Amino acid sequence: MKNLKRIFIYTFLSLAALVSIFPFLWMLVSITNKSVDVTQGRLLPGSHLVENMKTLFETVDIIPALTNSAIIAVITTLLTLLLASLAGYGFEIHRSKGKDIVFNILLLSMMIPFAAIMVPLYRMFGSISDTAPLFGIDSLAAVILPTATTAFFIFFFRQNTKMFPKDLVEAGRIDGLSEIGVFFRIYMPTMKTTYAAAAIISFMNSWNNYLWPLVILQSPEKRTIPLLISNLGSSYSPDYGVIMSAIVIATLPTALVFFLMQKHFVAGMMGSVKG
Amino acid sequence: MKKFYLMFALLISLAVLAACSSGDDEANGASGSEGSSGADSITAWAWDPAFNIAALEKAKEAYDGDVEVKIIENAQDDIIQKLNTGLSSGTTKGMPNIVLIEDYRAQSFLQAYPDAFYPLTDVINSDDFADYKIATTSFDGEQYGLPFDSGVAGLYVRTDYLEEAGYTPEDLTNITWDEYIEIGKAVKEATGKNMLTLDPNDLGQIRMMIQTNGSWYVDEDGSTPNLEGNESLAKAFETYKKMMDADIGKIVSDWSQFVGAFNSGDVASVPTGNWITPSIKQAEDQSGKWAVVPMPRLDMEGAVNASNLGGSSWYVLNVDGKEEAADFMLQTFGSNVDLYQTLVKDIGALGTYSAAAEGDAYAVEDEFFGGQQLLADLSTWTDEIPGVNYGLHTYAIEDILVTGMQDYLNGTELTKVLENVQAQAEAQLK
Amino acid sequence: MNQPSSEKSKLDLPVSLRYKETKREKTGVFFKKKVGWLFVIVSVIAITIFNFYPMVQAFLLSFQSGMGGNLEYTGLDNWQRLFSDPTFIAALTNTSIYLLIQVPLMIVLALIFSVLLNDPKLKFRGFFRIAIFLPCVTSLVAYSVIFKYLFGVDGIINQFLLNFGFISETINFLADPFWAKVVIILAITWRWTGYNMIFYLAALQNVDKSIYEAAKIDGANAFQQFFQITIPMLKPIILFTSITSTIGTLQIFDEIVNITNGGPGNSTISISQYIYNLSFEYTPDFGYASTVSYVIVILVVILSILQFRVAGEKK
Repeated sequence: MKNLKRIFIYTFLSLAALVSIFPFLWMLVSITNKSVDVTQGRLLPGSHLVENMKTLFETVDIIPALTNSAIIAVITTLLTLLLASLAGYGFEIHRSKGKDIVFNILLLSMMIPFAAIMVPLYRMFGSISDTAPLFGIDSLAAVILPTATTAFFIFFFRQNTKMFPKDLVEAGRIDGLSEIGVFFRIYMPTMKTTYAAAAIISFMNSWNNYLWPLVILQSPEKRTIPLLISNLGSSYSPDYGVIMSAIVIATLPTALVFFLMQKHFVAGMMGSVKG
Repeated sequence: MKKFYLMFALLISLAVLAACSSGDDEANGASGSEGSSGADSITAWAWDPAFNIAALEKAKEAYDGDVEVKIIENAQDDIIQKLNTGLSSGTTKGMPNIVLIEDYRAQSFLQAYPDAFYPLTDVINSDDFADYKIATTSFDGEQYGLPFDSGVAGLYVRTDYLEEAGYTPEDLTNITWDEYIEIGKAVKEATGKNMLTLDPNDLGQIRMMIQTNGSWYVDEDGSTPNLEGNESLAKAFETYKKMMDADIGKIVSDWSQFVGAFNSGDVASVPTGNWITPSIKQAEDQSGKWAVVPMPRLDMEGAVNASNLGGSSWYVLNVDGKEEAADFMLQTFGSNVDLYQTLVKDIGALGTYSAAAEGDAYAVEDEFFGGQQLLADLSTWTDEIPGVNYGLHTYAIEDILVTGMQDYLNGTELTKVLENVQAQAEAQLK
Repeated sequence: MNQPSSEKSKLDLPVSLRYKETKREKTGVFFKKKVGWLFVIVSVIAITIFNFYPMVQAFLLSFQSGMGGNLEYTGLDNWQRLFSDPTFIAALTNTSIYLLIQVPLMIVLALIFSVLLNDPKLKFRGFFRIAIFLPCVTSLVAYSVIFKYLFGVDGIINQFLLNFGFISETINFLADPFWAKVVIILAITWRWTGYNMIFYLAALQNVDKSIYEAAKIDGANAFQQFFQITIPMLKPIILFTSITSTIGTLQIFDEIVNITNGGPGNSTISISQYIYNLSFEYTPDFGYASTVSYVIVILVVILSILQFRVAGEKK
């Protein structure tokens, strides 16, 4: 009985893993093939890897684009984690009627499609471009700011804070910690896995973000990786082998971030507060 | 616990560091672009590095002004999004001086943002360009666009498959679509290969068909839908259904499958714009097995064996540096015959500047196409394309037509279908 | 619920400490309230600037119409236009179908995966986790190519179904209005299940293990543990994922554009794709596009209130 259950679970997971991983594997295989083979969905590895990579690195500046994406994603993620966890914590631990209302209104902000607020947002950054070019169109700040503060992560942290044992807060206060101190020294370390999950998602969102960086960034040297890939496909006769190579390179960092962070998802983290 | 803090501190300092160092870049970039507002440099946006971008680079080489030209590559969809966002927000910040716009979309931009573009009426001579390009690049009596590449369509055929079925390319020259279908059936019987690819979600095929008879989705005013009672459109729909019924089309659902189909030798012909040439040539093993003949025409009085698919033109934006940008355009794409020779020779880009077609470069024989003087042929056909005003709603109407086509293929009567799509288009396009 | 309220925890404190605590409370009531606002203020200001201000502008736009820069106020015309716009109705219907089928399916799957993959005794845990997470980082280009080939007329799925006698002739999945929707639903589920799994995996770490041990001693089997402990404990996160997935599915865009581009006909078009078309693909009418966007807002608000109610959170 127990064995049967195990077999069932492993079979189920293996099947799910296979289905999930198959397009990813094909993506890896495709970078070794010629464009013609890629368009035909060839499943076997070919011998074009070196050529594809060479063309890629010769035709586009992929390294600067990766650097830009990395800078933007890291700053966005850190800002998001800090601001959203502070707010999520504040809304739940220091709960009050007024804050509940504000929280509900904040939730509204994630319900509108981004395309609808893009033009007013662009106009806003355009209007400050002359006085504060560091925050205007084509600036790093303009890419990061609207994406680094989202109700999504505040909501996420608040929901997780509901599972946070509140007596720890009291214990901290008794130990003489300030309110901010409680947050940094007790809440943060306890909620490590919540931070890990938020980091994965935030990094991924920022790394893949396309529409906003596209309209707000103008100089080619500031381009992020999704914009670069979009360009590669713009040709009348695109080279799919090269495009797939760029895509694979662009995918690896997010996969890596997940791989590093998922280690924190170890059962029984509670109680590690004492450090 | 300590480790956690250490990591956190490290990350924060890293972020600050990154922010600072990129902040420096920012300052540099800003001062650089400030200089450009004095118009000693202009920016141009276009797509396709092998084609339009390469053409711009050649133009830059041919240009001898003091203004520095910055060429920026953006995908076509990206340009559309950036232009729309920028122009509709009312800030000209970050907008380029020169931009390439697809002909089907030109009227939309010109009408939606009337003051955003700089008229070239007094800069270039519109008679110097292929006739069919003028209606779509001008608006309200002013010439705004500098007509660029020809979207002249050709019927790319596999000579080896035709031969197997007992045909030569001559048999497909100057034929009607009905004759094409008959040949298609014979080819399929003899070789087992489909005659062409069909993508039910992309009606470029229909567009090419109706333009052979000088017809379009809208009236000459460019905005009133002309679907119900449009005989050319009805004929094109019928022809499309005949192709489906004759089972000579391989169904594809996107660009990569379309390219994949002819690259792998699955189809005997490709009726499309001449810009497909590099993609056809991608299959090097098929060299010598291809030829290009004029587009089949609709079986109607007045239809000709010439049509168009795609093609685009240059526009100058009404921002600082417009005079310089217009001058750059005039000196290069607006008058330089030698430049067009280079474009043809080096990148295979076929312009619509009429005077250019007489040069030697157009007479070159292409081995891939069995020694055919492909460019000369294409440029002859360019002059025969019936001019139509593509108007405002090409893609909006086409999305409605796609639904109509589904209904028609599923058995709804044609007059009923066209009546429906007309009503829908009128409701949607106020 | 299972969360200890602050009231209760105060009573749990050792008597010796109670005095200190109340004294602190008394002097700091006002201060404490303020401190609470300090935690949230930066985010509130930022979201007001970067979200609400543009949202108000978009709302004003929803009463305007016109091409590109030539917008003028047309009152409620746009809102009336919605009801007679067949493309909008098709988009609304499709999106609702995706929502009703896809969100529950995905949430359940994600829950099952996270519980299975949280088992410390499971071998190859890391591998399975990354495998199931991979779809949401796999590029759209790659997976749309793959999906189109799998579901093509001569694709693997058809061959499989034919060989095992489930069907007698091939199905043209992407050209059939019904099957195209099925493919889209599968694609969305495929892509986002691993994403939602992350939220559950993280939350499961915050569940006190001793509860499970106590349940085991009481003789509860795996199913009972799942329904009587895991689900109630994860309720806040289940609420979170169902609301965010509702938003995600109502705004679904990428999958559709890449796999079917809304076709055949308009049978898979989504509201977001229509908004995109109105803004960028056709002659732009940002006014009407805003109106359609606000339909999404209204739908999400209603559904979110419902979900909060069902979850039993006081709002």
